[in-house]
Amino acid sequence: MPHALLIKFPGTNCDAETARALEAAGFTAEVLPVALLDESALDRTQLVVFSGGFSYGDYVMSGRIAQLITTSKLGDRLKKFVEEGGYALGICNGFQILTQLDLLPKASLIHNASGRFMCRWVPLKKNGSKVSPFLRALPEQFELPVAHAEGRVVMMAGDAASYVKSGLAPLLYGTDVNGSTEGIAALQDETGRVFGLMPHPERFLFKADHYDPDWSGAEQGWGYYFFKGAFEAMTA
Amino acid sequence: MSDSSQAVFRHIPIRELSADQLLALSQQMKLSLSKVDMLAVQAIYQEENREPTDVELEVIAQTWSEHCKHRIFNAKITHTLNGEEEVVDSLFKTYVRAVTEKIWKDKPDFILGAFVDNAGFVRLDETRAVCLKVETHNHPSAIEPYAGANTGLGGVIRDILGAGKGAKPIGSLDVFCFGPPDVKESDLKAKDVIHPLGIMRGVVRGVRDYGNRMGIPTVNGAIQFDDTYIYNPLVFCGTAGVIPISDIAKEVKPGHWLIAAGGRTGRDGLKGATFSSASLTTDSHEEDQTAVQIGNPIEEKKVADFILAARDKGLIQFVTDCGAGGFSSAAGEMLSEVGGEVWLENAPLKEPGLESWQVFISESQERMVMAVEEEAIPELERLAAMFETELCRLARADGSKRLKVWHYGSLVCDLHVEKLHEAPRREMKARWRSPVVKEPKVALAPSSWTATLKTMLGDFAIVSREPIIREYDHEVQGNTVLKPLAGASGDAPQDGAVIRVAGSPHLMAMGCALLPELGKTDPHAMGRAVVDECVRQLVAVGADPDRLAILDNFCVGNPDNEQELGALVECTKGMAISALAYGAPFVSGKDSFYNYFVTDEGPVSIPVTLLVSGIGIVEDAAHVVGASLRHVGSKICVFGPTKRGLRGSVLGKYVSGCGLEAPPEFDEAEAMERYRKYHALVKQGVILSAHDVSEGGLGVALAEMAFSGKAGIRADLDRVPAEAGCTAAEVLFGETPARLVVEVAAEHMEAARQAGLVAIGESTREKWLHLTYGGNTLIDASVAELKAIWKSGLTPYY
Repeated sequence: MPHALLIKFPGTNCDAETARALEAAGFTAEVLPVALLDESALDRTQLVVFSGGFSYGDYVMSGRIAQLITTSKLGDRLKKFVEEGGYALGICNGFQILTQLDLLPKASLIHNASGRFMCRWVPLKKNGSKVSPFLRALPEQFELPVAHAEGRVVMMAGDAASYVKSGLAPLLYGTDVNGSTEGIAALQDETGRVFGLMPHPERFLFKADHYDPDWSGAEQGWGYYFFKGAFEAMTA
Repeated sequence: MSDSSQAVFRHIPIRELSADQLLALSQQMKLSLSKVDMLAVQAIYQEENREPTDVELEVIAQTWSEHCKHRIFNAKITHTLNGEEEVVDSLFKTYVRAVTEKIWKDKPDFILGAFVDNAGFVRLDETRAVCLKVETHNHPSAIEPYAGANTGLGGVIRDILGAGKGAKPIGSLDVFCFGPPDVKESDLKAKDVIHPLGIMRGVVRGVRDYGNRMGIPTVNGAIQFDDTYIYNPLVFCGTAGVIPISDIAKEVKPGHWLIAAGGRTGRDGLKGATFSSASLTTDSHEEDQTAVQIGNPIEEKKVADFILAARDKGLIQFVTDCGAGGFSSAAGEMLSEVGGEVWLENAPLKEPGLESWQVFISESQERMVMAVEEEAIPELERLAAMFETELCRLARADGSKRLKVWHYGSLVCDLHVEKLHEAPRREMKARWRSPVVKEPKVALAPSSWTATLKTMLGDFAIVSREPIIREYDHEVQGNTVLKPLAGASGDAPQDGAVIRVAGSPHLMAMGCALLPELGKTDPHAMGRAVVDECVRQLVAVGADPDRLAILDNFCVGNPDNEQELGALVECTKGMAISALAYGAPFVSGKDSFYNYFVTDEGPVSIPVTLLVSGIGIVEDAAHVVGASLRHVGSKICVFGPTKRGLRGSVLGKYVSGCGLEAPPEFDEAEAMERYRKYHALVKQGVILSAHDVSEGGLGVALAEMAFSGKAGIRADLDRVPAEAGCTAAEVLFGETPARLVVEVAAEHMEAARQAGLVAIGESTREKWLHLTYGGNTLIDASVAELKAIWKSGLTPYY
């Protein structure tokens, strides 16, 4: 059974529900305060998860302090973990951290175009021909909630279009949510094993989580299929 | 270096002072103690045969402050109602505690704690309880909106962490009363007052940045706009928590260590408790800045994770938060039975050089104090390292019944715990004259009812709060089943929130209500209506009407003004009647006085404002009911009679001479019967959606249900069960309490009819609101057009 390690920084606050979602999909999940993190933790893990929240308050660039602490504790061990077949997932603040850690295609997450925090549900559509382990069990279009102030994906001129074309941007917003270039909602690395997204799949685990009581898109919430897909890919 | 390793304190001679000199001393030290209080203090020291230290005077001032001791709610009040004199021997005992005690007898298994702890507890399931606490942070928010609201929420979250042996916060609610955002700058009647727009933006961001960073969903709330709140805005912050029932009881025993955890102590937040127990003036904006604390939510998140982990390991015997009065009130409360010794030099400081009294009463944020057994300390230290929070051995309980405070070897405070907690009882005067009730005279007939509806939907009382709601993370923790905005496009208003509780088969509903406009003329009616509205919201969203708990939070202007105090007395009386009839116990509450501001043209007081918030148990996820239409072809029903009277209504602001003489009547006993019948229908799956009829009456409630985007409504208001003589205005926009609008599938209509629901129309494919009355079309408008008005009302301002 694949084991997920959720690294908890001071200010990480979506770890409990993310662990719950992982367990629902079949993983064993372990929330580890960063004070206890060392290289050996990766030895017992198949999936490293950076959950949502406000690591260290995000008072400087979001995710920056968490990245520095992670790097100081793990060095290039995390990179090696991924190269050796490990998976890494970043949700919201975790996406920001993964971006800072250089495990994803070059990009930055900056303040929303509206300049505001925003908690709402958004339509999403899959992009590209690469089958992401995290998206394989999901339909072409689905919905998830977002809640962020710094979710606008920006990158060097031309990169966005190339990410969309190559499939490194596997998930796009169906509407303009935060001013993200090309509507990019998620990024993955070349292998697909490293995945970062702004929406919160762990908040749509159950059907009843949807804002419309008559929602009938699937048996479970779309978020369940996000984690289930990863579980299936890792156990296939 | 000697400066920072020595006690800095002094003795203040008071034994020889006259009463006037004592009062002058109190004012000079900003103790907020009255002449009577100061004489009582003098008596203590005459008996002890010595002079007090400044630390002791500050400790007494904090402990006896209105903020900490609620002396007005416990005062003996001589109240004159319509010329008849009566004596109210404590508002709290008579109209709050007595109500709860009566209900407690009927529900001993449900109510698990009230008034004694930081929050009241009710049973959620076999092993878990839920709790709720609401606080105000009005004065800090008036002079520093962002920091004031920020720490207001931070403080109430700590109340929950300090409830029982530590409850887990699972949802927050925030209620604000502001001046209208479109007030002209030139109409402000005092210098240095922050414009309502600045207050609103600062307050919302303050709440946002604390709640979102803590990872607690802000799921419920309300906003009132009125001129009377321009100078003294109100900011209520509430948090609900969940706790194992076995962790509710707590006790400090001799030998326990008092361990402080969390943030460091600094000069921020000095004298907040006494500051909030006086009125605001222009000078407040300059002089009282140090009374406002500075928030650091990540510090609090760390201490929260630590406390909950320590509780789960059984390491905590007692825990409370450092709120008003800082260590002096936290340690003072924990040692109030047994006594003990405090070592101030053990507290980690933000900066060196604090005087002894500053360390002891500083309200620096993010600090908790636990009582623990000595053997637990190594494990606590391990957990503190894990969650990166700081611990110190602040004090030790010893059974001496004295509060001894040491600072670098000097005894800076030595008080008998009983004397410290025995503030002199206040005696006060109040009066109220009931408004004269006359028969409605002139029937209102505007040229267009549709235009009136549009005006109402654009009124600040009714417009969508969406721009503000979206700033709060209301879905973190992944358990918000009924969200503040829902419907087919996720932007239609709901009556309350419902939260799933991890591990429990049951869910928790949250709601809140306040109706200050009604209270301006009829505080008694307001007290009743506010309790009803909160109860009704909880019932509407699916809570069991027999498993609710409510909180009373009062804000009052000048309590020394007999009329204002009289309004408070009448309000508490009204509230007690309804709470008793509904069997809804008050399990916690709070009061805030001196909410007035001295402008260039004299004092401006807020109207007596009662916020009733509540939690309810929703037995099953299938019982959750939203307020948005779900299907085309459903029956639209009204449950509960419509009565005459428009006083206190939103329509009342726009019209005159039509039923404004009185507010509409209602009967709690009948209402409770309806709520039980409604709940039985909920359990049978008969109810598709339901909305409480509140501000804006039936017309606005029907429009809001149609804002779901799934259907329109065609209804005949002649079918509305209404008192004889009701005018069209009263049927359409009257705000009779205790009514619900309910959507029922046509095939279930018979069951609904038997319960007493009255069908007035259908949901239609055409997204149109079409309401007729007396053969005439009153409302004829597209739902999209109405919704656009409602949805955009706040966007120019936020």
